[in-house]
Amino acid sequence: MFCIRKLTTFISLILLILFISLLANCGKSTGIKPSRKVVIRFWNGFTGPDGRTILRLVKRFNRENPDVQVLMQRMDWGVYYNKLFVAGLGGRAPEVFIVHASSMERFIQAQVARPVDDLVRGANGIDESDFAENIWQAVEKDGRHYALPLDVHPIGMYYNKKLFREAGIVDEKGNPKPPTNREEFLDALTKITKDIDGDGKNDQWGYVFTWYRTNMYTFLLQWGGRIFTPDYQKCVLDSAENVEAVRFFTDLIHKKKVIPPPENFDSWIGFRQGKVGIAFEGIYMLEDLKRQKDLDYGAAPLPLLGKVPAAWADSHTICFKKDLSGEHLDAAWRFAKYLSDNSLDWADGGQIPARKSLMESERFKGMTAQWEFAKMIPYIRYIPRVPFALEFLGEFDTAAERGLRGNVSAETALSEAAANVNKIIKRQNEEQKRSKP
Amino acid sequence: MTRAKYSNIFYGYLFLLPYLILFCAFILLPLIYGLGLSLFQWEVLSNAPPRFIGLGNYREALGETYFWKALGATLRFVAMIVPSVVFGALLIALALNALPEKSGGFFKAAIFAPTIISISVAGILWRWFFSAEFGLFNAWLAPLGVKVPWITENRWAMKSVVLMTVWWTLGGPMVVLLAGLKQIPEQYYEAASIDGAGAMRRFFHITLPLLKPVLLFVIVMNIIGSFQVFGQTFMITRGGPELSTRVLVQYIYETAFASYRLGYGSAMSWLLFIVIAVFSILQFRLVRERE
Repeated sequence: MFCIRKLTTFISLILLILFISLLANCGKSTGIKPSRKVVIRFWNGFTGPDGRTILRLVKRFNRENPDVQVLMQRMDWGVYYNKLFVAGLGGRAPEVFIVHASSMERFIQAQVARPVDDLVRGANGIDESDFAENIWQAVEKDGRHYALPLDVHPIGMYYNKKLFREAGIVDEKGNPKPPTNREEFLDALTKITKDIDGDGKNDQWGYVFTWYRTNMYTFLLQWGGRIFTPDYQKCVLDSAENVEAVRFFTDLIHKKKVIPPPENFDSWIGFRQGKVGIAFEGIYMLEDLKRQKDLDYGAAPLPLLGKVPAAWADSHTICFKKDLSGEHLDAAWRFAKYLSDNSLDWADGGQIPARKSLMESERFKGMTAQWEFAKMIPYIRYIPRVPFALEFLGEFDTAAERGLRGNVSAETALSEAAANVNKIIKRQNEEQKRSKP
Repeated sequence: MTRAKYSNIFYGYLFLLPYLILFCAFILLPLIYGLGLSLFQWEVLSNAPPRFIGLGNYREALGETYFWKALGATLRFVAMIVPSVVFGALLIALALNALPEKSGGFFKAAIFAPTIISISVAGILWRWFFSAEFGLFNAWLAPLGVKVPWITENRWAMKSVVLMTVWWTLGGPMVVLLAGLKQIPEQYYEAASIDGAGAMRRFFHITLPLLKPVLLFVIVMNIIGSFQVFGQTFMITRGGPELSTRVLVQYIYETAFASYRLGYGSAMSWLLFIVIAVFSILQFRLVRERE
């Protein structure tokens, strides 16, 4: 049994600990800083190989700018956006943070990000015309730009040179010849797809669907389809062009059997294993391939399978906290500009810089895959900019998957998704009406 | 009451206090807050202030196909996983109990090992195992001429998730059941053997009845846990193919954090809570009646 005295000692100890920790906290909040550096918090979702690249840049910036301390925090994109958004709504967003152009809209609408036009045009600015027009447009709303585009990452064509040579798809010099149009694409499919181990089932494929979203979005646009009416008041995902595009691929999968049943991302492993001739994947997958020495791959712009050239793309953009001012704003901008100015280092890991001057540099021309993919910049297309992007993409992904898997018809898959998206639009509009008394 | 007794009670509460504080701060308060939230239309993206709509969110959920589909997926998961895990854990616990301590220890550790792997690691691993064209399992099955669409066909996907979950979660119940088995006095078995009872009779007349409290505990905890399944399906199938494995918790997560509809998400959480509560009450009733 304990005696009272011991108990008193115990309780006073606990109180003492609480008191000390309270004091320690007070110290923090009253602003006793360890040094006179301006601290810039920088959040992003670069948890892959790109994380190492950005870390190098941050360290270099910190070395070269002794008066600023950039503290980087990296999280998985999925977790990142939730955390960032909630922090932003509570007014606790980091000073600098990365947002995809496709996710921009809700950050603008929730007034988490600050327009950058004054900074870009300021004394230490960047020439606006140096940004590729469609990339600069991707961060614009009502005449204001809300972020500094760091890069652009379209999907493009990766092809397995060995399989192309084996199938005899070569030019006069005997070099593998990646397809540029529908005929050549179909020709490559039939020539490369075959049954290697002789069990009566194909196990080497001309092309696989990797990410449904990027691939199907590209195809719908190539076929001339639209996702929304121009005013974004109606989803027209079930338009005739879109149905036709989906049907084209379901035929190849289920009737002609030259494309394997889609497995989403996991099919990328097949390309890395050398069992797949062509995959349409992001330039950010390059790092994956570079580390794989036994794979003889090439990179090229997407072939034109439909009527209009198009390629899905997205951009990492640098955003600033809404209420930055004074030395914090200055330091944040200097850091962002540093990243932008040095975005060739960033591009080296599998990105295309957003600035034309860098794209035209000799060094960029030396980055083979990036250089090839950059040829598509004039016709890259971002995901439609709607504030309910995540909900829309959920429906879009489901529609693409259902359509490709062929358990329901292309029309059903697309029209059900369109109906659901229209419901979301209706709900959004009612909310909007409610917010304007 | 004596002073000693008072002081005992005091220390009882004192030692409970740390958990009680955490419980209140992170479970009880959010629970109540969520209940309040579920009565509001609260869309983070909207500039409009949250609006009280009573049971509107609940009505919307009950009238929505996605909700029922997700609840159905959850129920299918629970119906498959609970018998698999409990049966499997029981069988292995019996086997380990029969083994000598030394070699048993190795198997016990081996079977428990997956439990300590985080779901993200296990999920990524198993997604590759399950890949139909390029995965490990189908590479093993290839010589037999079999190609299983583990996670690419609606009718297989949930079973594959269950398979992975058995591997991942079997360890916990197994350890608990093994401890239960060790508690059964050896004399009962000896006496039964002398009376001429075979292995089967010994199992059904000694092991099972004496293990019942532990077994029921394992079953109840497993059902409650299984209703909250999220990590496995989210990592391996992302709810696909065609949303056939999108369980309720995942749908709630997406509603609250992808659609930013906090009120609606809270309402669905409470519906799930009610379902789990009903199941738990039924089970406890059952246990009490039997006793």
